[in-house]
Amino acid sequence: MNKILTVCPYCGCGCGLYLHVENGQIVGVSPSRSHPVNMGSLCVKGWNAHEFIAHPDRLKYPLIRKNRRGSPENRRFSGVSWDEALNLVAAILDEIKKKHGPDSIGILSSAKCTNEENYLMMKFARAVLGTNNIDHCARLCHSSTVGGLAAAFGSGAMTNSISEIADAKVLFVIGSNTTEQHPMIGMHMLEAVDRGATLIVADPRRTKIAEFAHIHLRQKSGTDVALLMGIMNAIVNEGLVDVDFVRRRTENFDTFEETLRRYSPDIVEGITGVKAGDIRRVARIYAMEKRSMLFYAMGITQHITGVDNVRACANLVMLTGHIGLPMSGLNPLRGQNNVQGACDMGGLPNVYSGYQTVTDPGARKKFEMAWRRRLPEKPGLTLMEMMDRAYEGKLKAMYIMGENPLISDPDLTHVREALERLEFLVVQDIFPNETSEYADVILPASSYAEKDGTFTNTERRVQLLGKAIEPVGESRPDWEIISDLSSRMGYTMNYRGTYEIMEEIALLTPSYGGILHHRLQEGFGLQWPCHDINHSGTQYLHRKKFARGLGTFITVDFVPPDEPPDDEYPFLLTTGRVYFRYHTGTMCGRTAVLEREEPESFVEINPDDAERLGIRNRSMVKVSSRRGAIELKAYVTNRTPLGIVFIPFHFRDAAANILTNPATDPSAKIPEYKVCAVKVEPLVRPQKVKRVPSVDLEALRIT
Amino acid sequence: MKGEFILDRNHLSYWLRQMRKSRELIGPLMDGGKDIVFKSVDKIHELVLDCPASLPSPKEFLFPQYESMLRFTPLHLPLTKGGQGGVSLSEKAIEDLSDKTKRVIFGVRSCDISALSLMDKFYIEGHKDPYYARRRENTLFISIVCNNPDPTCFCIGLGTGPYLEKGFDIQMTDLGDRYFVQIGSHEGAKTVKAMSFLFRRPQKTDYEDQYEVFLSSKARFHKRINLEGIRQMILEEKVKDDFWQWVAGRCFECGGCVYDCPLCTCFTVTDRTYSEGIERVRLWDTCMFKGFTRMAGGVLPNEKMVKRTKRWYYHKLIYYPESLGGFGCVGCGRCTITCPGKIDMASIAARLKGLVLNEEEE
Repeated sequence: MNKILTVCPYCGCGCGLYLHVENGQIVGVSPSRSHPVNMGSLCVKGWNAHEFIAHPDRLKYPLIRKNRRGSPENRRFSGVSWDEALNLVAAILDEIKKKHGPDSIGILSSAKCTNEENYLMMKFARAVLGTNNIDHCARLCHSSTVGGLAAAFGSGAMTNSISEIADAKVLFVIGSNTTEQHPMIGMHMLEAVDRGATLIVADPRRTKIAEFAHIHLRQKSGTDVALLMGIMNAIVNEGLVDVDFVRRRTENFDTFEETLRRYSPDIVEGITGVKAGDIRRVARIYAMEKRSMLFYAMGITQHITGVDNVRACANLVMLTGHIGLPMSGLNPLRGQNNVQGACDMGGLPNVYSGYQTVTDPGARKKFEMAWRRRLPEKPGLTLMEMMDRAYEGKLKAMYIMGENPLISDPDLTHVREALERLEFLVVQDIFPNETSEYADVILPASSYAEKDGTFTNTERRVQLLGKAIEPVGESRPDWEIISDLSSRMGYTMNYRGTYEIMEEIALLTPSYGGILHHRLQEGFGLQWPCHDINHSGTQYLHRKKFARGLGTFITVDFVPPDEPPDDEYPFLLTTGRVYFRYHTGTMCGRTAVLEREEPESFVEINPDDAERLGIRNRSMVKVSSRRGAIELKAYVTNRTPLGIVFIPFHFRDAAANILTNPATDPSAKIPEYKVCAVKVEPLVRPQKVKRVPSVDLEALRIT
Repeated sequence: MKGEFILDRNHLSYWLRQMRKSRELIGPLMDGGKDIVFKSVDKIHELVLDCPASLPSPKEFLFPQYESMLRFTPLHLPLTKGGQGGVSLSEKAIEDLSDKTKRVIFGVRSCDISALSLMDKFYIEGHKDPYYARRRENTLFISIVCNNPDPTCFCIGLGTGPYLEKGFDIQMTDLGDRYFVQIGSHEGAKTVKAMSFLFRRPQKTDYEDQYEVFLSSKARFHKRINLEGIRQMILEEKVKDDFWQWVAGRCFECGGCVYDCPLCTCFTVTDRTYSEGIERVRLWDTCMFKGFTRMAGGVLPNEKMVKRTKRWYYHKLIYYPESLGGFGCVGCGRCTITCPGKIDMASIAARLKGLVLNEEEE
């Protein structure tokens, strides 16, 4: 038995784990004891990260079909050789490019793939196809962070490191169910609480992390800007501003302050439902302790005001000067294992790797010289815009790598129609999924255990994967597929291995300048920015000065959600994830234990609402919005407040995203997953609900 | 068959190299200067002998995380008139996939060896689990008297370490320039006998040195835990429900305590349909999950977390002594290392005050 150190493929924590290999098969997983993030622990997904690798459903050879709109005979996929599949893809993409122009093709890169693969995909889109139409699922989770923090600080990433959390004195967690979605970060938070830190959680739902909180603010969904402005107003009025910091290191405070004056805690109470007294208390606790860390996740970003929410967080941090020190900063928790890396690598329509904008002639020139191709000047389409253009028939082809938009995007009916109207769809994945059902060509990729490369976790730590086994079937690592395809389209990508790609990344990307594979083998990777070969990485950002020089206060104002509940659709639906599941379920759905724990979708509803509607726990209900309806089980619980229902988005049956609102943030184009209006109806005849006593003595009995 | 021998330090690698000719040699290795893991030994001189606790416990070699059990190739019978046709299974169609590799696991700690005796009772006595039994027969354990306990270790109060009186195949004590080798089983004796020219009989000074190592290793422990005391507290109903509620509230449901524990035995079985046949696999599972006891129809008798965490402690401290005659805990400290919520055995004991005696207070 051999054991290979690698990085967990699930969330952005980036835990170190060993894959156990016996006779060319993965037979187990164990945590790394000395890894700075997980320190000998793993969450249930990490502990089960070995099982799906050899699952029988794995795509083992390329599949094509003649005509997906034709007879059943023509619609059937048949296995072909790599040569045939890639020649076909190359020929059709070439043809579409010639006929409709490069911008008629859209590329979705993947936050599940390595940095090297994302870099190559972005090179493929820009140099080979000649379009900036490249995006990935960061659009749906943290595009507001990337844009919002880049404008305020000059860099959109977690400012501190995970290992600092346990020593913090105040933790302010807003819109993140940390213990369930970033369990190993949750572990550090709990450690901090045990050591005496004060934990403040702002979340409409009573999540697991809220159970540990000293103060739990249950603001109405979509009122985060108001809440944060209220806190800042209290900080200003109580004289807790770090005046020196604001004066020396920031700009634009005066304009911001004019707006801020309007948000007194009493007014904010009316908007958010959070008591003015609590707002003042939080303001004092947060502002008065230097070792204060602010954390946020999807609860902040997935709104039409996502960018404003992020800017408000940034303003709060600058106002109190809680940044640029260890245990003091602003920390967006990134979702996917490599979503930080996929953004860093420029899998976005407006930037090259290292966030060098495509509109900047200097940066473009640099990449043109390195890649020896003329590059497009105009920023490309975002993920949501691609779907819209496809729906309108203007986008003709898409190449989707390691993503499943038919579960993860909002308003699925629209997305399905959009993909159906495409002339040509290539899907590259490790498993068949909902999206590949609409594909013309399916290319089988290798899983994380079968390739090398690097992942960048949420604390900017670039870590090396360890190849444990040979690719399953004829599948190939994504980077090999992309470079092969590119060569067939007349642009030779000749890399001997992923380390050569990394070298090119380091050459062109200042923040990755000193990150090379051989340096990552010692210890547990390097944290960017790491400018040169002698640089040992950066533990926390914005020390002494912000990445952009001065931090900017950007004025924000409260804007209500796009689709508030009304008489017809009286409930506010918020979506999210559950602990045992991960995103669209391609991996965890093929893991026996994880599948068993959460086999089906459910809607969480408050007991008072349930009683009024005659809904019993576990009975079937119909939830409908203006865009569609799903039928699922009700889970009656106090976790969800009155008037709000919660549905996890993982499940194909009863997919929450059939209901969600595709309205997006004007600048980041992130859809508002967290708020839309729905109605809930019992599917069986309404029943008289017997309320269970609040203390369940029966539950304590040992069976 | 008992015996005591002395092995020169310089002869260890020769001995292991000879053993490796007939068995897979597994031992503790430092991976890239980062962690100690038990894996196949390539370079014998790289073995690390004063190693900290490895994750998971060596039970993975007897009861693996993922184990192929059998493959069946259904023979499809032609459809009969009016009938449904069907699938038949004959003896030939079922292929045994159980592991038959002979292994020697070198450098195991005493606590893990003492866990084996209870595992054997569970998996072999009464209803015999053929997969475990076969691996057990084929595996030889060479344990090391623990000279470097982790701060999390507490075997010392439980009689499961740092050295053992019985229950081992071969136990070695590091005396600096030589090893004191004790034989505890027939298989162990065979291994030594086969290479008898490497060993000599111990003399008085060897016994003295061995005893000194025993003493000094005992002195390195940071804590003792009185499991019997906790058991009594529970039985006398001194542990109140709100305590268990507190424990449950901190559980992350990672399953790590069960996966890492050398004495936990939960598993699940699932079938995987490949094109060439159906494979039945056994996977680690944990009773910490609500779905573990889901009944037909979807009822979850243990839906409340508190029932599950509480049951784990009851199982370790009350049911195990009743059914298998010993605590379901050998003090290896792995749950302390792995538990993100700090509700492991040692932390619980510390919480139930007065049960942990710090060495300073002894």
